[in-house]
Amino acid sequence: MVGIVIVSHSAEVAEGTKKLAQQMTPPELPLAAAGGTRDGRLGTDATLIQEAIQSVAGPDGVVVLADLGSAVLSTEMALELLPAEVRERVVLADAPLVEGAVAAAVESSLGKSLVEVKAAAEAARNLSKVS
Amino acid sequence: MQQRTVTLTNKLGLHARPAAAFVQKANQFQAAISVRAGQKEANAKSILSILALGARQGDTITIVADGPDEERALAELCAFLAAGCGEGN
Repeated sequence: MVGIVIVSHSAEVAEGTKKLAQQMTPPELPLAAAGGTRDGRLGTDATLIQEAIQSVAGPDGVVVLADLGSAVLSTEMALELLPAEVRERVVLADAPLVEGAVAAAVESSLGKSLVEVKAAAEAARNLSKVS
Repeated sequence: MQQRTVTLTNKLGLHARPAAAFVQKANQFQAAISVRAGQKEANAKSILSILALGARQGDTITIVADGPDEERALAELCAFLAAGCGEGN
């Protein structure tokens, strides 16, 4: 299964989003949260993100979802810290965090490919919530 | 193409875990499967599409399946809904 990493400026947001995705998927799905800084402040930390990616990295690859602005920059830095053989199977989804994580997790639980899981997360941008 | 109409009996309707379980079940079939509720239609194989449908307990939904295993897909999905989407209510 494709691993999913949830990056947020807030540890609680990352952890809560992970729990929400876990509620809808089998327990063996590789999911990791990387929120806040090492000393518990709001922010993002490239090395925390790197560790989260490595904790779920497998042959099927990893999709990373990030919240605002610098979360994306820190994720890009984290990618540079990864060994090349891991990095080449990690993609950053351009998707809303919560909806994208849920969509990606369910898609991954279906045994879909890295490309398909990323596409499912990105399709969340077009989700209409209010009819 | 075949279709069947059912009323959702489980507490949550097609939300959260039941929605995900329904989508996981629908993905086991080759047939194209959609769900209609009121004026809305959702792709049964997409979690976001099913969540956007917002079908609740008591709602009547129509499942439409089109493909080689459409009959089995309808039978199994309806049985799954009748059994409360694996939630036991």
